[in-house]
Amino acid sequence: MAMSLMRPGGFSYSELANAGPVQHHFSPYTDNGGSIVAVAGKGFALIASDTRLSTGYSILTRDQPKLYDLNSNTVLGCSGCWCDVLSETRLIEARMKLYKHEHQKEMSPGAVAQMLATILYSRRFFPYYVSNVVAGLDANGQGVVYSYDPVGHCDQNLFHAGGSSGALLQPLLDNQIGLLNMEIKPTEPLTLERAKGIIKDVFISAAERDIYTGDGILLKIITKDGITQESMKLRHD
Amino acid sequence: MANAQGPSFERFSTSIPTMPSAAALGPMKRTQTPVSTGTSVLGLRYDGGIVLAADTLASYGSLLRYRDCTRLHKVNDNTVIACMGDYADFQYLLSIIEQKAITEDCMDDGFNITARSLHSWLTRVLYNKRCKFDPLWTTFLVAGSDMDDDGQKTEFLGYVDKLGTAYKDGIIATGYGSMLATPLMREAVEAKTKDGGQLTEQDAINVINDCMKILYYRDARAHFRYEIAVIPTTGSARIEAPVEVKGDWQVAHLIRGYE
Amino acid sequence: MKGKNCVAIAADRRFGVQLQTIGTDMDKIFEIGPKLFVGIPGLATDTQTVHERLRFRTNVYELRENRPVTPQVLSAMVTNLLYEHRFGPYFVEPVIAGLDPKTNEPFVCGFDVIGCPCEPEDFIVSGTCEEQLLGMCESLYEPNLEPDQLFETISQALVNACDRDAISGWGAKVYIIESDKVTIRKVRTRMD
Repeated sequence: MAMSLMRPGGFSYSELANAGPVQHHFSPYTDNGGSIVAVAGKGFALIASDTRLSTGYSILTRDQPKLYDLNSNTVLGCSGCWCDVLSETRLIEARMKLYKHEHQKEMSPGAVAQMLATILYSRRFFPYYVSNVVAGLDANGQGVVYSYDPVGHCDQNLFHAGGSSGALLQPLLDNQIGLLNMEIKPTEPLTLERAKGIIKDVFISAAERDIYTGDGILLKIITKDGITQESMKLRHD
Repeated sequence: MANAQGPSFERFSTSIPTMPSAAALGPMKRTQTPVSTGTSVLGLRYDGGIVLAADTLASYGSLLRYRDCTRLHKVNDNTVIACMGDYADFQYLLSIIEQKAITEDCMDDGFNITARSLHSWLTRVLYNKRCKFDPLWTTFLVAGSDMDDDGQKTEFLGYVDKLGTAYKDGIIATGYGSMLATPLMREAVEAKTKDGGQLTEQDAINVINDCMKILYYRDARAHFRYEIAVIPTTGSARIEAPVEVKGDWQVAHLIRGYE
Repeated sequence: MKGKNCVAIAADRRFGVQLQTIGTDMDKIFEIGPKLFVGIPGLATDTQTVHERLRFRTNVYELRENRPVTPQVLSAMVTNLLYEHRFGPYFVEPVIAGLDPKTNEPFVCGFDVIGCPCEPEDFIVSGTCEEQLLGMCESLYEPNLEPDQLFETISQALVNACDRDAISGWGAKVYIIESDKVTIRKVRTRMD
């Protein structure tokens, strides 16, 4: 390449013009965004996700909830690299069927939680790039929430915020549901209605500040009577 | 040359661009790059079916290398796929899909591959290739019919990319189409369905024609010749003969700053 | 954070090198005028340098012009100071909070490392737990709060956000700036 054509940046215009097909480099991961919030209470568990699927600055679809009903008392929420979410959830569904046929009973949320940790760790060196939250009712009918890191570290909580807005929402849940740093604490336990209200509020806040959260939310309510769902609209921008 | 692998004018005389040189082989290197590529494809659901569109160009970088490549493929009477990205990878997958379609046909049991199952199959194939770090550099739209919760036939339009990212939607465009055509399609659908109205097949075709024209004007890798496939939920899918955008460049002089 | 005829600015008190805590009584908020403060989170050495340089420039301004620095003027000064180092920036993202010396109009403004100003109508956050603070403030904030309500809001936002950041905390200092007085309160937090 003629030196006179070189620019300080290290490439020349003629080189750009002659470059032929653009060199792409392959990354197996992409961040498709999305947020999950789950709350456990006495006799209920709630889990909600937004419905936006994005890549970079583009929205792929405005109608893709990230919740999977695993059985009548367990719901899984996944967000992150969507292709990993699809693969991981299919594997879970298959493993749950095998369990059901082998043991003649549904998996308990605790068993699902342990299995998910094992599945995630099986890909320790090529991880599923997914933030998972499991919500369900335990044997005593109490709500439980399990949260994970991408390689299978599992933690049981009373509430959790995961996905692209996790960092924004977790301290708020600590304060409003965990009652941290609260001088005058409410005496009655968390009700289903209040938990629902908090979840809807935090998603509205998240949609204001996180471009990967928006369009709508899907909320699943797990009680001893089974799973019901609600939806709500969020910002469409 | 900073660009060691990519074909360039200098390399034409010395080697075949798509073959890596012996030095580049070294330890096993599988991450490839697309070579002959197709640009955007569009998919739009109307009331009673799906319309797909893609132009007929396979570009080699900025060269208009193959100008009559169909990027739509009718798999069976009610399933059509469209492909953006590496044309060779598309042909490779087509050969497998065609064999699948033949096998199904030979069963002669009245069943065929559905759009939904083909879409699901493609997600697995593409995801497995991505896990081997040897992706098929393509993005597919799969159109056809699906069963809703009541067992009724409805429209199906799905997206799968080279990672295995997949979703269903009524309006899908890939590549530059996602920036240029999606807003036009969404606007048209919202205008038509606002007061409980319907988007007819002809409406959908009209919108797609508009979008293909805009893409031809603004996407440097788009071509004036394109094909449209119509996949009605009940009835037989058809890929229509290629049509051409009659370019009107009278407005070109209004674009300033590049003289 | 803006309130009704008042503004508040608050910061934690930790001083650390990555994960190691070195000091727990560091001030990141500095007085520029009687009703004007600047918080400078980031690299501690740059915090001090930027503060000293701002002090120099505001002093020169007040001597030359014989009038107090307004929040808007300070904002322009910070922008200029940071952008002068466009290609070797100070690693700080300052936040200004104050009342106009004459009209007592509340003012808050934040900057990135190269001095791009952002002047919102509600609140601005900056530092290592920026995301957590954003989530807290977006939910807790409401306009036209009285000074004591504003204190509660900003403290809750800061404390709960810092509790979810491993490298923030160790107490906090909250400044409530009103037209006739500035109240400085130290807030207790979990110390780990």
